[in-house]
Amino acid sequence: MDDWLDGNAIAGVLVEIFGRDMTTVVRGCPSCGARHEVGAHRLYRGAGLVLRCPSCDDVALRLALADDRRLVTFQGTWSVELPA
Amino acid sequence: MREETALTRTLALDTGEWRGHLAGQHVDVRLTAEDGYQAQRSYSIASAPESPHLELTVERVEEGEVSEWFTEEAHPGDQFELRGPIGGHFTWRVEDGGPLLLVAGGAGLVPLMAMLRHRTARHSEVDARLLLSARRLHEVIYRDELGAFATDPGVEVAIALTREQPSGWQGFDRRIDPAMLVEVGPPAAAAPRIFVCGPTGFVERAADLLVALGHDPRAIRAERFGPSGG
Repeated sequence: MDDWLDGNAIAGVLVEIFGRDMTTVVRGCPSCGARHEVGAHRLYRGAGLVLRCPSCDDVALRLALADDRRLVTFQGTWSVELPA
Repeated sequence: MREETALTRTLALDTGEWRGHLAGQHVDVRLTAEDGYQAQRSYSIASAPESPHLELTVERVEEGEVSEWFTEEAHPGDQFELRGPIGGHFTWRVEDGGPLLLVAGGAGLVPLMAMLRHRTARHSEVDARLLLSARRLHEVIYRDELGAFATDPGVEVAIALTREQPSGWQGFDRRIDPAMLVEVGPPAAAAPRIFVCGPTGFVERAADLLVALGHDPRAIRAERFGPSGG
């Protein structure tokens, strides 16, 4: 049961990919309507990394790490604020 | 280097150019063996942003290749790769205000200690309560420093020893429960900012109890560490 962490645990790899901290980005869940910061999402680690909505467990992000590339799939509304 | 407990050691790092961190953030550490094998782990920053050195407190995990190196083999002067500071979700600044409720399970105390040290360094008077759950007294890190908070009227430290208590123990002697959280406070009506850090099971239990006591789930920030660390 306790084999999951939270979005904070992959903050480093997300910075590597997106060039900014993603844990404070708010995601709106299309499944249950909840809005949570990425850092508050549940992280499951298997062959890849999967972030899930902490309210309904809907998949928010899938991340596959290979030696030469990163494959990222998003679900839901990610509101990213960038400096102008 | 400073031994905190039999299994835990604090390392002060000279990071060269360091852009500063927020209390609660972590770093990713990468060790590379002579044959090129690499292992990476995340460790919470223990020191306040105002501290001259970046400090990490590492607990040795059974079969944990990285934590074993830090707690047994590392010597002053050794070098390794560090990435960070990382994470903006689980952070607190004096400007964010309080009251503050910090709930720690074991080594989950580390990032919360950074928050308390930051509060002290900034001479903040924000009401701060810390509830620490540990198995035994000799497993409690930063023991002297926690004791010294007794002289700070703005900080209250409560320790729950779940497995074994020394004779005459004045603190809690059980796992966290609703009555304990009510006693430590502040109540939900005071709308505290809540930070919970520890193993996943501990964090889940604490967060569920806090929500049941009426705390706003959005005011509760959590950081979990799992068995796969090391």
